Amino acid sequence: MGYVLGVFDFLGAVVVYVARTFAYLFTGRLNLRLTTRQMEFLGVNTIPLAVLVLSFVGATICYLLAEELGKRGAAGYTGGFLLVAMLREFIPVLTGVVMAGKAGAAITSEIGSMKISSQIDALRALSTDPHWFLTAPRVIALLIMLPVVGAFAGVVGYYAGYAMVHSKIGLSYASFSSQVSTFATAGDFYTCLIKCLIFGVVIAAVGCYMGYRVKGGAAGVGREVTNSVVVSIVMIFGLDLVLLPLNHWLKEII
Amino acid sequence: MLMLEGIRAGYGDTEVLHGIDLVAEERVTTAIIGASGSGKSTLLRVIMGFLRPTAGKLIIDGQDVAHVSEHEFAKHRQKMGLVFQESALFDSLTVAENVGFFPYYRQKKPWGKVLPMVREMLEMLDLPGIENKYPSELSGGMRRRVALGRTLIYKPKILLYDEPTTGLDPTMIGHVDEIIREMNEKFQVTSILVSHDLESVLDVAEHVFLVQDGIAQDVGEPWHLLTSKDERVVTFTKNWREHVEMYRRLMHSEPGSANGTPKGETL
Repeated sequence: MGYVLGVFDFLGAVVVYVARTFAYLFTGRLNLRLTTRQMEFLGVNTIPLAVLVLSFVGATICYLLAEELGKRGAAGYTGGFLLVAMLREFIPVLTGVVMAGKAGAAITSEIGSMKISSQIDALRALSTDPHWFLTAPRVIALLIMLPVVGAFAGVVGYYAGYAMVHSKIGLSYASFSSQVSTFATAGDFYTCLIKCLIFGVVIAAVGCYMGYRVKGGAAGVGREVTNSVVVSIVMIFGLDLVLLPLNHWLKEII
Repeated sequence: MLMLEGIRAGYGDTEVLHGIDLVAEERVTTAIIGASGSGKSTLLRVIMGFLRPTAGKLIIDGQDVAHVSEHEFAKHRQKMGLVFQESALFDSLTVAENVGFFPYYRQKKPWGKVLPMVREMLEMLDLPGIENKYPSELSGGMRRRVALGRTLIYKPKILLYDEPTTGLDPTMIGHVDEIIREMNEKFQVTSILVSHDLESVLDVAEHVFLVQDGIAQDVGEPWHLLTSKDERVVTFTKNWREHVEMYRRLMHSEPGSANGTPKGETL
């Protein structure tokens, strides 16, 4: 029973954080200075890691595709397959996982440390809503930066895939990208964008929730940082499953 | 004026404050003393509205705010300032951003106007030229003064100090006590000092309450801490009184003193 209540408490808190963030955003009370700081700290600093991960994945996928499609004389489809896989799954999911591990953990540890050192109480003593000062800038920062980081990582991952195919079977770039337009559609791009936006908000909200519930000193911070990363990653994969029909709907609409 | 009537509060099922009655007169420094775990910090949390009482009245400027909404309480909180025990400076902000936090983030004043206010405040606290440092680069005493500056900059009517001298060396304790006295004179604030540093209390307070087992006892003026025959006061101050007596004997080299240092010689 306690576990079920805990889940509802968590989901309720996440919904409240997101709702309050958008309330600040739409009423013009969001602090841009704080938000841009977080965009730099949480987003820009994550680009190298996300680029590295997507490059490895792009190269690995292309190695396998080139091998299998090459045997069947369809190596020219490699670029198209890779782009679709990148847009629908790898960019949002893997960038989300990297973001959860780096930015989500950073959010929880910072807010958690602030809590145990009375800085959250200090905010309240200064008549400042901690959600305005801490939650909203982080949620908006990840909402904006996850698609941006994903775009950088996706482009580099795509070219890493091409480099692998070129070095393995000597496929030219023209051949590699020849079927891209027949595979990838606008719906795939929108699917990627929507997933990135959702995952960004979820990672930030989970990170904040776990930070605010830190108890018991440094050990408590460590515990909640782990929880934050684990819960965010599980939610990313779970939501990715739930959002499977999204691409289909978008293709029907567009 | 701040008044508490029959305040009961606690955490979960555990009641920590069992009906606190306390009055902090306007422009008077009131000290709240008590042993660790007696409920002092809980009392401070109730006054600041971080913890809501289950019963009783919390009267600020004649209005009972014990059970008002968080939004409503936030307005009253602007009349109060709290200097935290461990300073609670924002690590990610510079000293200038910490001190200028309220006017910049809360009152939305442009940074160009806030910065001269910050510099003036730092000058007053004898901390010139540290605007661009981060809290981690400061000593404990400097952090304490920066925290004081962050609170004083918005001129609260009621100033609460949570163990302001804990962990400081004797020179710094004297300096903090001096700052508290100075601030009270300069800003005419109502000060509430939560402490178990009795020398500091004797130095700066004008009225003392002793909190024990979740109940507040009006001790009266600070010198009563040395003379009161009340059992609870005597129990709490026993060791301290013995120390004071020992120092007095040493200073005056009375017969039977600890080491019999001759009068006039440096100890």
